[in-house]
Amino acid sequence: MTSTLDRPAPVADGPADAAARPPRHRRSFARALPDLVVYVALVIIAAAIVVPLLWMLLTSFRTDFDTVTRPAVPIPDPWTTDAYRTLLGGAAPILRWFANSLIAAASQTAIVLVTASMAAYALARLEFPGRRIVFGALIATLLVPGVVFLVPNYLIIDRLGWLDTLWAVIVPGSAGAFGVFFLRQFFVSLPGDIEEAARVDGAGDVRIFLRIVLPLARPALATLAVLTFLTNWNDFIWPVYVLLSPEVQTLQPGLSTLEGSYQTHYGIIMAGAVIASVPVLVLFTLAQRQIVESVANAGIKG
Amino acid sequence: MKRPLRGIIAAVAIVGLGASIAACSSSDAPSTGSVDAGADYSGPDVTITFWNGWTGGAAPTIVPQLVKKFNDEHPTITVKEQAIEWADIASKMPLAIKSGKGPDVAVLHGDDIATYGAQGLLLDAGDVVKNLGYSADDFPGGLLDNAQYKGVQYGVPWSVTPLGLYVNNDVLESAGLSTTDLPTDAASYTAALDALKKAGVQGEWVDGFVFTGTFEFESLLWQFGGDLFNDDVSKATFNSKAGVQALTWMRDLVDKGYSPANVAQDGNFNALVGGKTAFNWNGVWQTTNEALQSVDHQAVAVPQIGTQQAVWSSSTHWVFPANKGQDPNKSAAAAAFVKWMNDNSLGWADTGELPAQNSIREDPALLTAHPELKVFLDELDYAHYETVAPGITTAVAEITTAVNEAVLGKKSPQDALDDAAKKADAILQQNAATYGG
Amino acid sequence: MADTVVTLSARGAVRPRGRAPRGRRTLTAYLFLAPFLVLFLAFVVTPAVSGLWISLHTWNELLPLHPFVGLKNFIDLFSPDGLYADDFWESMRATGLFVVLSVPCLLVIPLGIALLLNRRVRAGGVFRGIFFAPYVLGVAVISVLWRFLLDPQLGAVNALLGADIPWTVQVPWAWVSLVGITVWWTLGLNTVILLAGLKGISADLYEAAALDGAGAWRSFRSVTLPGLRPVMTFVTTTTLLASANMFGQSFLITRGAPGTETRTAIMYIADQGLGQGNMGAAAAMSYILFIILAGVSVLNFRLQRDTTR
Repeated sequence: MTSTLDRPAPVADGPADAAARPPRHRRSFARALPDLVVYVALVIIAAAIVVPLLWMLLTSFRTDFDTVTRPAVPIPDPWTTDAYRTLLGGAAPILRWFANSLIAAASQTAIVLVTASMAAYALARLEFPGRRIVFGALIATLLVPGVVFLVPNYLIIDRLGWLDTLWAVIVPGSAGAFGVFFLRQFFVSLPGDIEEAARVDGAGDVRIFLRIVLPLARPALATLAVLTFLTNWNDFIWPVYVLLSPEVQTLQPGLSTLEGSYQTHYGIIMAGAVIASVPVLVLFTLAQRQIVESVANAGIKG
Repeated sequence: MKRPLRGIIAAVAIVGLGASIAACSSSDAPSTGSVDAGADYSGPDVTITFWNGWTGGAAPTIVPQLVKKFNDEHPTITVKEQAIEWADIASKMPLAIKSGKGPDVAVLHGDDIATYGAQGLLLDAGDVVKNLGYSADDFPGGLLDNAQYKGVQYGVPWSVTPLGLYVNNDVLESAGLSTTDLPTDAASYTAALDALKKAGVQGEWVDGFVFTGTFEFESLLWQFGGDLFNDDVSKATFNSKAGVQALTWMRDLVDKGYSPANVAQDGNFNALVGGKTAFNWNGVWQTTNEALQSVDHQAVAVPQIGTQQAVWSSSTHWVFPANKGQDPNKSAAAAAFVKWMNDNSLGWADTGELPAQNSIREDPALLTAHPELKVFLDELDYAHYETVAPGITTAVAEITTAVNEAVLGKKSPQDALDDAAKKADAILQQNAATYGG
Repeated sequence: MADTVVTLSARGAVRPRGRAPRGRRTLTAYLFLAPFLVLFLAFVVTPAVSGLWISLHTWNELLPLHPFVGLKNFIDLFSPDGLYADDFWESMRATGLFVVLSVPCLLVIPLGIALLLNRRVRAGGVFRGIFFAPYVLGVAVISVLWRFLLDPQLGAVNALLGADIPWTVQVPWAWVSLVGITVWWTLGLNTVILLAGLKGISADLYEAAALDGAGAWRSFRSVTLPGLRPVMTFVTTTTLLASANMFGQSFLITRGAPGTETRTAIMYIADQGLGQGNMGAAAAMSYILFIILAGVSVLNFRLQRDTTR
């Protein structure tokens, strides 16, 4: 092993790494490699990922004629912001769609965080009759292809009078077992001693859940928040069925109505993707350190 | 966004009763209503919703303009227009109509009408056609009948979109070919392809996808005297001798070096724009393609490769959805809107679709504004439209599979078509059982 | 709709800790579960049960009658002259092939990247952001992008390679493309989770291994892999289900071509059930896929558990 392994943590690495042990303790397979090799590898992989993304970004600034006639060259000639103007400056209520998506994704995320954390607490930390049945049912439903749910859920939504309202894209999607599972695994591995001490002090389940489990689980909740938000934000199948009026459209299906019915408008598709993905990227950046930590904690004792 | 809690409670009430869903949806009988209306609407003030698939391009500006004009001229009717991708309309509209949340008027493609009709999703538009004074002569041959299923008129024709031969003039000239004396038959088309090949250009890139390999195949099938299905649409006939000739001709484009192998969807049209090929069989809608406008190009009638003239065309039709609890006044207002739109459809050619109403197409103003459309208008004399039968798109999808397999060299044209016809027959049989033949 | 994560932990819940009487503890537990269970019963269990009910009928949602046919929809899928049997099993083979090809890539590559990132790298956050970035894009967008880049004649990839590989229209290339695109698109998700798992492995274990004279490879085998087990089980199962549910990529990029060879099970089921109104047959197919996935999941879980015991 080379001495470079013992280099102190760069400041840029932030809290996730700052909390770790001194570097000399952390020897793994990859640590046997010289730093240079690691950076070269990382940069090559990152390039493979970034180049298509950059291509996409650059295409959003091209005319379709330019894109089609020089398909092997990514640089726009001429540069144009027409696609963004068409999307943002047109008659389409794109801000409304944006707001709808934000409301839907944020609401569903909130519902999932509340209901899933409560359920996961019960499944992970409480012993009660029927626990295995509930748990087994959760697992089983994850294996059922989503296609099965579509028509029955449509009829349920219709009966509830939620058709053509945002409730239709908020509530049914929050019923999936994914969140409960994720959090349950996390809660199971939380250390028991703090909770035990709290019980000795006379704390009830509500208090333990709110004051001990939830604060400890904050990183896991952040992970779940990002994934739930992302799934809802990018959904373009279910909203098509249940959102009918232009005013209640969400962003992804809304953007698709700006593309041509007969031709592929590369610029507009790519510009739409850029517009739609920026909020999610910001969210991820804000949450990523928490994400890295969360599974770490969940994983220790699994 | 009202009363979520009440909703959740109601949801609990139906928990576990999967069967109740079955029960609730099996009680509705298909609607047999009709639209009772003429060109003039005299009922109370109404707001009607209108769904169409004209997203992107010129349509999104033209439709709102027309709608606004109509609304201004008709104080008692307010039309709310909504453009939704065709594929999304196909997904959402049937269920929406069944829930009573569908539009009051919409536009559908010809091959959807029988399916919707058989499912009881559309009102009988026979009276609309009668009261508006339409007869078969007001539209291209066979088009009005194409919106009928089991003797009921479900649609009013709105537009047609035949295939044409798009030509990159620069590529032709670079190969020393004339741009005025263009190929019209098998011999002249092959001669042009040969000349292009000598100049190092693969003249027609043939693809095996719906856009537009399937359209090309169907055109050729009819040109060789074949047809897709038999008269009562109970049996596939596209694997006839004509079908094999048609598909063999397409595959030969690859084998003889006129086309690269393995062309992907859109690849051939992009190659035409990019100056890599000379010819592309494509729909009239591409006359409005923005990228193509930067290229020296023209469109002509598709060459007659087979023994007779024929060309594929799609069609769109106005329909009046039979929403659960449909307000007859709204349907009547919708009928007035449809008549007005057809009478004012001259500008529709801007969208790259041809107005269906003959009187509009024969208006000299249309060709003054769009001289490039002349060849497409002329093609309508021998155009073939969609097959009318419920569930037909499923059977037609098998044709695309066959075209794909043959063009990509996975199967011989005969084998590919035979396999597809066998599957299509089974589907037709099942459709007959499902929709009562 | 397609939440696709399962993790079967070997652990049960912790021992009962509550001092309250048993009945009250049960009540407490169900009160905690109640909000989720209401949603779960209404929007997951009810539709799933309806799906089973539907699978026993010839069911077109839009037609008034849904004739009861018993197990015919299931039996037809196993009889040679069933209308859908050939196509369905071809699509199942396609899905199986995609799972077999994609899951190892989606485990090994993210694991490799996570191992690299687990070093104290500069700009680790930037790398994490980059690796995750494609995942925030919708499948519609990545499909248009890659269909364009991989066009056999005009695409940038072939231009770069100086080749004319039929990436999106011929097998086996179409599979290479579908797997490659999926890896590019989703590797960030697994990387982030695996990286977190690596960070959770106690440094003392590496220390001990080093004292025992273990080299890098042995320490990887005896410390890293076992320490990663719970996270790996989670990621494996998630990835397996995600791959088994793949349809957007093949629907939008290869369109099932050549012929119907890259048409996946979900693509076929969705087309049958939603596109063509054969909900009964589609539901039956879904439940057959469900049974197979259940089998594979249990197997996967057993294997992962056994290797570490």
